[in-house]
Amino acid sequence: MSVVEIGEPVVRAHELTKVYGDLRAVDRVSIKVQQGDVYGLLGPNGAGKTTFMRMLFGLIRPDSGDTHLWGIPVQPDPVAALSGVAGFVETPRFYPYLSGRANLELLARLDGDGSRARIDEALDVVQLADRARDRVRGYSYGMVQRLGVAAALLRDPSLLVLDEPTNGLDPAGIRDMRELVRRLAGEGITILLSSHNMSEVDEICTKVAIMRRGRVAFVGPMHELRGRADRATRHLDTTNNQEALSLVSGRPGVSRPQLDGGLVTFDADDRTVEQLSRELVTAGLAIRTLTAPTTALETLFFTLTEADQQEDAA
Amino acid sequence: MSITSTAARTSTARGSATGSRRPGIGAVFGVEARKILSQTKTRAIALVLVVAPWVFILLVLHQDRLPLETLYGRYLKVSGFATPMVVLVAAAQWVLPLLASIISGDIFSAEDTHGTFKTILTRSTSRSAIFWGKTLAAFIATSALVLLLGASSLLAGLTTVGAQSFVDVGSGELTPGHGLWMVVASWLSVLPPVIGFAAIALCVSILTRSSVLGVVIPVVVGLVFQMYTFLNAWDTVRHSLLNTPMNAWRGLFDNPSYSAPFWHGLAVSAVYTALFLALGYFVFRNRNVTEG
Repeated sequence: MSVVEIGEPVVRAHELTKVYGDLRAVDRVSIKVQQGDVYGLLGPNGAGKTTFMRMLFGLIRPDSGDTHLWGIPVQPDPVAALSGVAGFVETPRFYPYLSGRANLELLARLDGDGSRARIDEALDVVQLADRARDRVRGYSYGMVQRLGVAAALLRDPSLLVLDEPTNGLDPAGIRDMRELVRRLAGEGITILLSSHNMSEVDEICTKVAIMRRGRVAFVGPMHELRGRADRATRHLDTTNNQEALSLVSGRPGVSRPQLDGGLVTFDADDRTVEQLSRELVTAGLAIRTLTAPTTALETLFFTLTEADQQEDAA
Repeated sequence: MSITSTAARTSTARGSATGSRRPGIGAVFGVEARKILSQTKTRAIALVLVVAPWVFILLVLHQDRLPLETLYGRYLKVSGFATPMVVLVAAAQWVLPLLASIISGDIFSAEDTHGTFKTILTRSTSRSAIFWGKTLAAFIATSALVLLLGASSLLAGLTTVGAQSFVDVGSGELTPGHGLWMVVASWLSVLPPVIGFAAIALCVSILTRSSVLGVVIPVVVGLVFQMYTFLNAWDTVRHSLLNTPMNAWRGLFDNPSYSAPFWHGLAVSAVYTALFLALGYFVFRNRNVTEG
């Protein structure tokens, strides 16, 4: 067991950068994950989350910057740094011609002493014990995801790194996976998970880093992000949407007003919307529908992650 | 520490699963050996290697003609020791390189195919241990398959024809005991060049990340080498080709015997093996695992 300096972050990435040709997949990313955090790495597809996680696991060497796990640098010796770390990047992969249990047995041998004794327990935790002797070739996507978690648990991790753990799962699978992550976090395991789903991160995580185009657009506690999320996107349909757009545009508290697919869309908080609805009626415009298809948090997420695209479009 | 009832972990605690001692080459070898033995492909090849010599000798015994153009072909109905020697002569040029390729040309690229490099490289075993463990497993599995073919050929010959006295390359008579020694030593002598072909396959498998190329390229290389030996070209080049040591045993069992080709072949095989392993190791150690 490694002795680690008190207060040393579990994960400390500093100015981490990875470039592929003209693409800066990860661009000077710095984050700190502290003991006990359930840390969400949030961003749309292509934001650089997976590349970041591959560098964290030592699968990819960064072009510049570094990552420390409990103060131990990942490069040049990932095995030393990854002691006590487990998880998976993208979809967990196993040998399809072997059973789930056989796969875990092989991985336990690569972990060394102790892992093998946890196989049954890990299979129980992810509820795969009854299918453990089946070949992985016959597993559903959700079962492979759960086997990935079981493979991670063999290492009795203090840090669990999960890349889009609910990706591709059905609603029941998503519910179960989130519940499992919460349970593991409740047992004291520090968790770093990536997701492109704002509500998932909101539901599970205590801290978040939002990535866009390889960079960190926001980093901080979830409550701070929620505090900034005061405006939700609204979709408005009236008897005259052109006139409604004119009325909405320029109102204090309204941003991004536009006609989109025949509807008026804009971002605003609840009080502004209440006021606007009264003014629309006063102006003789009947409201057919007024909806908020995304939460305020999701709206903030889209605002943060689509900023560059809007700049490009402009 | 229990998975389900873990007490809150302190800031000084890290998981204990990985322990203080890293699993090494032996652990990787065990994992690879189990994977190789679990594969249908391996079992099918082993079955073919066991059955083929029996089919061959039974067909020969039921026909009038003998493969006279092949060394020891004329003795197939005379002594059971001729069967493994004919199989060795016939297999040396492309069957043995193919066997080496099938196992070694797949052992790294199969991880790319299944996307499992990221699975094994995030455990507690170093890349170095994974490389050498896989290499050791590939070499031992390849050697085992070659020797399985030899053993099956010997058994087929002795069972169907018998353990009569035999002849060496110079046509000197050998007792059954000496005949057996000649068969065993001859088959053992082809292992170094077979390992050389396995090293080529392994390196190609790492460089191309393709199992198909890992299997095909070493066989093509073997055929090109063989074609060169048909030419009336530089002997220096011919002696440096990896298929030349496949026939080094002939000198050992000539009358009088000479061992220079065997030792030269051993050196050539060692050079091929070292060069291709070094290249494969360098590439594997430094590659970024972006797939899977």
